[in-house]
Order: sequence, then C-alpha cells, then structure tokens
Amino acid sequence: MALLLRTVARQGQCLSRSQFGVLYRHAVPMGTTANEEMNKFWAKNTRLNRPVSPHISIYKWSIPMLMSISHRGTGVALSSGISAFALAALVLPESYPYYLDLIHSMTFGPQFLAFSKFALAFPVAYHTFNGIRHLAWDLGKGFKIPEVYRSGYIVVALTVLTSISLAAM
Amino acid sequence: MASLIFLSTFCQRGIRPVLLCHTHLSRGLVAYQKNRDIEAFHLAAGRIHTTSAHCTVSNSRAASKHWTGERVLSIVLLGMAPAAYLCPSPLLDYSLAAALTLHGHWGIGQVLTDYVHGDAKVKLAKAGVLLLSTATFFGLCYFNYHDVGLCKAVTMLWQI
Repeated sequence: MALLLRTVARQGQCLSRSQFGVLYRHAVPMGTTANEEMNKFWAKNTRLNRPVSPHISIYKWSIPMLMSISHRGTGVALSSGISAFALAALVLPESYPYYLDLIHSMTFGPQFLAFSKFALAFPVAYHTFNGIRHLAWDLGKGFKIPEVYRSGYIVVALTVLTSISLAAM
Repeated sequence: MASLIFLSTFCQRGIRPVLLCHTHLSRGLVAYQKNRDIEAFHLAAGRIHTTSAHCTVSNSRAASKHWTGERVLSIVLLGMAPAAYLCPSPLLDYSLAAALTLHGHWGIGQVLTDYVHGDAKVKLAKAGVLLLSTATFFGLCYFNYHDVGLCKAVTMLWQI
C-alpha cells in the first residue's frame, strides 16, 4: 500500500489532496524538506566551529575518484574558457581574424602549436567521453566495479587518441 | 511489472512482513502502525508543521524534470559536435551558443549545490552564475552576429 502511494507520489500524479485523501490517510508528511535539514546541519556545525574530519587528505586515491573530479575540473575549466571568450568578444575592440593574425605573426614553433592544440583538445575530449560514461550510468549501466574501471580506462585511452589526432590536424 | 510482483507478495504473506523488510518504506510503515494502534494520530498530525504534500511532490517533480533536462541537453550537445564539423552554419552557431551556455550554467549550478551552503550564500552564488551565463550567451551571440561565428572560429584557429 505504501509502495503504491510512493510510486504514485513520485510520479507526481497526486494532483489534489481531496482526490487521493483515501491514500494519504496513513501517510505522515515530513516536518522539513531535505534542503532545510541540510541547511540546519551546516548552520549548526559552522556555528559550533567544528573541525571537519580529514577525508580527501587521508583517503587513498582511486582511478574512479580521479576521473570524477577531473570531469568536474574540465567542466569548470571549459565553462570558464567559454565565458572568457564570450566576454572578450564583447570587450575587445578588434575582430577575431585580427587577433588570429596577431598570433600567427608570432614566431611559435610547430611543436608549440601542436602542443597548444593538444592542450585545448584534451579537456574537451575528456569531458565529452567521460560525459558519455556518465550518461551510461544514468541509464543504469556499468555500475559493477570492474565495469567502472574498464569504462574509465577506455575513456582515458579515447581521450588521448582523440587529442593527438586533433592536434595533428 | 515489479509492482505487480510486489502486490502479489502482499496478498500471499500480508503487508506487514514485506514492509518490514524495506527500510525505505519505514516512514510509511511507522505511520501505518501508529494509525492502527492509536486513533489520536489524527490529532497529532494536526500539530505537525509540514510543507503540504502537494508542495513536496511538485518540488521533487521540478527537481526530477531538471535532472532529465540536463541529460537531454547533454545528448543534444553531443550531437552538435559532429554536426558542427560536418555542416557548419549560422543555425548551428546559435544553437551551439545556447546549448553550450545552458549546459555550463546547469553544470556550475551543480558544483554550487555541492560546495555552497546556507540559503543566503546559495542565492548570491546562483545570482552571480546567472549573470555570468547571461553575459556569456550574449557575448557568444554577439560573436556569431558581428564576427565569424563559432564553427568558423574553431576552423580558423586550427589552421594557424
């Protein structure tokens, strides 16, 4: 009975209380939302100035951990890059071809240019491939630990290959 | 399908044992037991300060839709990558600007949710990110209109 109620509630099909009053008769609504509870936790602990237990400083790093934070790191970096580009487009006086010619006129070696392209392509490729891995997880696939590691290695391999290919173009 | 199997198990063994097995149903179970034992439950419910069931349902519905929207947008953005390479166009320039900015906006929003706590700080941070995302989108559209456009820009950059 409770399962039915939860399934219905979760799908948001409870349009009005009166309609489903019969089902609600046995349910106790929560006193606070999860968000309120979380805020209460943080407010209390910062007020009491409690130290945080060591966590990332002591826990042994694993490939999944590294890849997860790298996904976040590349995401933030790419987003910042795009914002910087957009704001530069608004602020800088000259057009894009002008600045490209400026870069072109500077005597950078071909290795430096290839490396720069690699450095630009790498975060994009990594975030894209790991993003696909995330989407697979969202479909419920690949949660077993060996699968997590295998998909992780595939993502890293694809990232390196793609970045090298793009840098060579 | 799973719910049908569940319900058939109810009928065979009665509700209580099955509900007792699942801790995530314990809230409903507690209410169920209380209601059966104490009629004063109805009076007690009146004293509980609650968000209405409808409010929590619509909150979680909004959150669920947001989650789905994020995944749908990711897939759309994924499709735009080969499209931008194969058939660059102004349409793709503007679509890419919109998808990229929104994906980044929602992504940074998740980072904020993880690391920023307290209603006032969250509100301030979210307002700041909204401002940045709006400026980013505006800047990208400006670039698309007055300059070479995103697809062409990447091509030109790679030809250096």
